[in-house]
Amino acid sequence: MSETEGLLSGYKVLDLSSGVAGPYATRLMASMGADVVKVEPPEGEQSRREGPFPDDEPHPERSALFLYLNVAKRGVTLNLDTPTGRAMLLRLASWADVLVESYQPSRAAELGVTFEALHEVNPALIMTSVTDFGQTGPYKDHAAKSLNHYAYGGLMYITGRPEKEPLQMGPRVPEYGAGQNAFVAMLTALWHRESTGEGQHVDISMAEYSASILENALTMYSYTRHKVTRMGHRGYGRAAWGMYPCKDGYVGVIAGPAHRWPAMAELMDEPRLNDERFSTARGRQVYADELEALMEPWLMRNNKREIFEKAQNMGIAFAYVASPGEIYSWEHLRDRNYFVEIDHPEAGTLDYAGPPFQPEGVPFDWTPAPLLGEHNAEVYGETLDLSPKEIVTLRASGII
Amino acid sequence: MAQALEGIRILDLSRIWAGPYATKLMADMGADIIKIESVDRMDTTRGGINPPSGSGNYPEAEPGEDPWNRNGWFNSLHLSKYGVTINLAKESGKDLFSHLVTISDAVIENYRLGVLARLGFDYEKLRSLRPDIVLISMPAFGNKGRWKGFVQYGIGQEQLSGMADMTGYLDEDGPMKSGINHGDPITGSHATGAMLASLLYRRRTGRGVYVDLSQLDSSVSLIGDAILGYQMNNRNPDRRGNRHPYMAPHGIYRCRGDEEEWVAIAVASDAEWQRLCAAIDKPGLADDERFADVLSRWRRQDELDAVLSEWTRDKDSNDVMQTLQAVGIAATPVESAEMIFDDPHYQERGLMELVDHPSTGPQFMPGISWKMSKTPGGVRWPTPRLGEHNETVFGELLGLDDAELSDLEAEGVIGKVPTRDN
Repeated sequence: MSETEGLLSGYKVLDLSSGVAGPYATRLMASMGADVVKVEPPEGEQSRREGPFPDDEPHPERSALFLYLNVAKRGVTLNLDTPTGRAMLLRLASWADVLVESYQPSRAAELGVTFEALHEVNPALIMTSVTDFGQTGPYKDHAAKSLNHYAYGGLMYITGRPEKEPLQMGPRVPEYGAGQNAFVAMLTALWHRESTGEGQHVDISMAEYSASILENALTMYSYTRHKVTRMGHRGYGRAAWGMYPCKDGYVGVIAGPAHRWPAMAELMDEPRLNDERFSTARGRQVYADELEALMEPWLMRNNKREIFEKAQNMGIAFAYVASPGEIYSWEHLRDRNYFVEIDHPEAGTLDYAGPPFQPEGVPFDWTPAPLLGEHNAEVYGETLDLSPKEIVTLRASGII
Repeated sequence: MAQALEGIRILDLSRIWAGPYATKLMADMGADIIKIESVDRMDTTRGGINPPSGSGNYPEAEPGEDPWNRNGWFNSLHLSKYGVTINLAKESGKDLFSHLVTISDAVIENYRLGVLARLGFDYEKLRSLRPDIVLISMPAFGNKGRWKGFVQYGIGQEQLSGMADMTGYLDEDGPMKSGINHGDPITGSHATGAMLASLLYRRRTGRGVYVDLSQLDSSVSLIGDAILGYQMNNRNPDRRGNRHPYMAPHGIYRCRGDEEEWVAIAVASDAEWQRLCAAIDKPGLADDERFADVLSRWRRQDELDAVLSEWTRDKDSNDVMQTLQAVGIAATPVESAEMIFDDPHYQERGLMELVDHPSTGPQFMPGISWKMSKTPGGVRWPTPRLGEHNETVFGELLGLDDAELSDLEAEGVIGKVPTRDN
């Protein structure tokens, strides 16, 4: 029994990706025991320049985004704009089981990071490209920022108030979500490789991730030509299924199945909620304004946390709008050992959001994110058999 | 062509979106997914037994004779799966399920905490039937911790995971709900990852795995940077409408069409700003010192937005995209479902697939979520009607004969017509 073995121990991953999506995919692999080598340009990758930073002081080793996304990885630098750098990449590619990259396709071609070139040196390699628009199609080389993933992917059009403009979300969901799917796709490709020895090219698009999770919007249009639009705080225009203001914030009033509706009148101590007109989801939709007027006084008298717990203790699926700081304080997450304390030489000791799921008895790896080029000597020595002197030469010439 | 996950068999007891999305990603790639419902408790996303005409997501808004087989939302989530019905409350239903467990690789469920155990199938029981079984158990708050008995849907996870709090208009002092229930696809995809990672682990070690997947943990993973940021500065992220901490211009701009046509534009650097100015043919803008650098543009965003809006207002959003993308500026239309249907890029990549279904006729469905060069996956058959594969699974796979199937149907253990409304 080797209880030190993670779910993905033994796999070797070369990660050229930057930003959020690719690094989140490899964060999942690294924390589950895969050996992930993160390759950055000598100046460091983009997320080192994005915050938040302690005391709002930008510092390449103290970016919360970078620290979170790159735990449990080893870090090297490599200048792919040089012929030597590109030659070293090909040798690294023959070491790896999986290579992840996030360049615009035309840029990837310039750098020689193409499936054809990599497949030639390592036919069993799985290459995973995580890009804005994918590897094919007329817009494959278009530029995009997070805003555009929301806009072009259809999520923005349906987020916000009907009378106002569409709204992006604060968190970078399309990037994280595409990263999740990249992780799944890589495991799918690894499963196939275990059976056949065959590598392949995986193509993930962040815009397409958004377009693939529009819930009813695409099928509604397909089936009925009805256009789903923005519905503010009411989920699908329903009442008692959405976000409502309360005394100190917002709660999720989420009515469950029909037979549970009478509990709502009891919870809010408002017998008029038992009016037959409100007993079905459709009735609540038709008489939404009246229904909401009946709920409002009780909601405005009570605090979100009390409302949430009181409803949950009655078996009703209420929620509340919590901030990252509130979430960080929850005892439930402590009970689950969800947060993981990691000590980083530049950023100090912080509690990191831990695993998205917990396989019983199987450990995760939580070493801190690498400093820029921290593992150059170790990785290049081990994988490319370079001597310390050769590594000094590469460093002096700006390759690493 | 061989598919990547061919030969993997999953028993899927999950409902609504998160679990079905998890197994959809595997069905797309060739896994055998056996979706288990029962005639007295079908998946709620099948909708009601007798919904009024003109409501819901049915072809031409007509529920028809068998609305539970005609619901677009359900039909988009269960492509290429086998659909069976088993009443797990009855002994012969438990026998059927037990038999299936012995020949399956994994079970996935999103019941309330404890329901599967009460039905007689905790992890120990499953292991006694199949020693190396993988169980993905995904209750809302996980299987341990003080809130473990609480219940939740994807709509609430968006609020409990910080996402709603971080989203909002600049001219309002409050959070905003998104247009979908993000908790579901986030948890669903994590569940697929948990499943495949566990199956790879089993392949290597011979050991099965029990995975406790809390939908809350899973959703909070997407704001891990904000959790660290809070500890660094004792502050939560600002709500910023459509703006950005340092990019400007950054927002959406009205175009010439109806009230609902916008283009999203984001500019990160001085070099990008200069390229934008050259492309939009606004004399003097490139040299306008009000917008000379990142900081001055960021400070004068209102003025900057007015200048850009004036330029976009009489243009088509696709033309704006083409003009700005030609010089490498991030500009895209704000697409509705209709625009996504008609978009040449999505069309060329095959985002939507035409799927013929016996109860609805041919309809476009969101297809495969990503591309793989050797094992592309694909839609193999339409979403099963309630109990459609009872004969295939119980007859061909488990070897029951027609008489046994008839007995089970008479007993109400299996069937094809719902006996209880949703």
